[in-house]
Amino acid sequence: MISTLAYGLTIGGILYIISIGLTLTFGTMRIVNFAHALVYTVGAYVVMTVTSKVWNNFFFAGVVAIAVAVPLSYAIERFVIRRLYGQSIDYAIIATYAVLLVGIDAVKWLWGATPMPLSDPLSGASITLGAVDLPLYRILVIGVALLVFVALEVFFRRTIVGKIVVAGLENKEAVRSLGINVDRFFTIVFLIGSALAALGGVLYAPITSIHPYMGFQVLLLCFAVVLVGGMGNIRGSFIAAFALGLVIAVTGRFWGPAAETMVFVVMAVVLIFKPIEA
Amino acid sequence: MKVFDLSALRRFDLILIGLLFIGLGWLLTIPRTTDFIIFCIFVLAYDLLYGYMGRLSFGHMLYLGVGAYAAALSAQHLSANPFVALLLALVCGGLVGLLIGPIIVRTTGACFALINLAFNQVGFFMAVTAFSDWTGGEDGLSAFFDPVMGVNFGKPWVVFGLSLACLLAVVYLMKRLIASPFGILLRTIKENETRVQFLGYDTFRYKLVAFVISTAVAAFAGGLTIVNYVFVTPSFVDPGRNVEVIFACLIGGAASIYGALTGGVVFMIIANYLPNHIERWEMFLGFVLLLLVFRFRAGLWRYIAALFTRHLGKEAVL
Repeated sequence: MISTLAYGLTIGGILYIISIGLTLTFGTMRIVNFAHALVYTVGAYVVMTVTSKVWNNFFFAGVVAIAVAVPLSYAIERFVIRRLYGQSIDYAIIATYAVLLVGIDAVKWLWGATPMPLSDPLSGASITLGAVDLPLYRILVIGVALLVFVALEVFFRRTIVGKIVVAGLENKEAVRSLGINVDRFFTIVFLIGSALAALGGVLYAPITSIHPYMGFQVLLLCFAVVLVGGMGNIRGSFIAAFALGLVIAVTGRFWGPAAETMVFVVMAVVLIFKPIEA
Repeated sequence: MKVFDLSALRRFDLILIGLLFIGLGWLLTIPRTTDFIIFCIFVLAYDLLYGYMGRLSFGHMLYLGVGAYAAALSAQHLSANPFVALLLALVCGGLVGLLIGPIIVRTTGACFALINLAFNQVGFFMAVTAFSDWTGGEDGLSAFFDPVMGVNFGKPWVVFGLSLACLLAVVYLMKRLIASPFGILLRTIKENETRVQFLGYDTFRYKLVAFVISTAVAAFAGGLTIVNYVFVTPSFVDPGRNVEVIFACLIGGAASIYGALTGGVVFMIIANYLPNHIERWEMFLGFVLLLLVFRFRAGLWRYIAALFTRHLGKEAVL
């Protein structure tokens, strides 16, 4: 049971890291960003390529992956999303989905469609807790997620940039009337979110296999996290991510194939009792 | 229904649509055109929700799939009569809409799209894994239909005729629906739901009814597909295919019945003939979608209608 819990928390941590970007882009720009999954996929692929071709150092590869993801997401923001600000949300959904289609096909073109595994960067090291062995890597992922949470809390409560963004989440017009160029700060937020999506891809890559469509499934789960946690609510998605991660793990223990579907059932139940306006 | 106002043509539009599809059948072979017609019914169902009510669903394949599986299962276990299968598909689609509709229609915008997608994912899982004993899982399920009153539904042209008749019926009913006070109310909800509520309407009820109609007609299209293919696979519920119907709706022009028909036919022509020549099909689809969103939001039908107006010098109402 402890290993199930640890697995759930690992998945939850990764879901949290990825869904921050989604919830922030929705909260600030009212845009649902399907292209987020592309950044995540690219992150995973870059890690795999760097560790196998350049230098077999997971940390270095992770940094490279994030360094690749940021310009990519900047291009997406600059050429697609920025042109859709303030318009009907449907067009943003369709346009970012189109970007996702183009990007995933490019990934297939570059790397091929066959799933590729990535070995555990800590070479299977584990720690013993009571009677169970826990892979150290999973503990590391949970640690990184907590670290990201603390860092974001500090960023949003203590720094000027973070405070402007939080204020922008509350009321964009009021912030703008103070003479602050909100959109520039939103771009920063978008890039942070994308860097975290790439980090999520990096962290998830050794746990699952890497394939072009890996982003779709995770994106759906992250949408569930964002909807359950409340759109634009950073702390809410923290709690929702870990809760849904546990749902996946516990369901998976009893009936493997149903694990991810159960998340949507939980989401539906939450939505019945807590309708959202968006 | 506000389409370009050549009143003489509009009066005979059902006949014209029928003739156009028969022409297409003559040009592109009957089985292929049957596919086109069924897809057009699906696009019409989708357009009621997206075009007229302004709710973008990203999970409409679920309702198509419900109809497809209902028809196939009915053929296997209930009766080999295709009309029973179609009726059951329609009813099942409506029931599913009624069941999950109350959760879905309370949301708008992004949530609406995503919750539909989530339910589609659940449905896909149920078809592939949870009920694989019933649905045949990945392998799918075949369905055979007996002749009814001497008419053999294994013949392509019979299915073609049936589909065309269904399409014309759907078009006619949609036109009536859109022009009715209910249809006007739907379009008002799209513009400003709060105001409709101010006027004292219970918008939830109207949205639910529209949603159920849309799911039922989508499921009906799914049932027709099975009568046509006599085989159902999980690809009929595949959430990844949702983009097709959105694409068709956009390319033809949302919130117009003729636009939906144009979009359905154009998309099917693209999807049937281009993948053989284009290696990067998804990339192509993505770029065309971007182009549509940024440059051609009005859709093909409106350009055609505008062209007509310019040449005939008549007043076009769009």
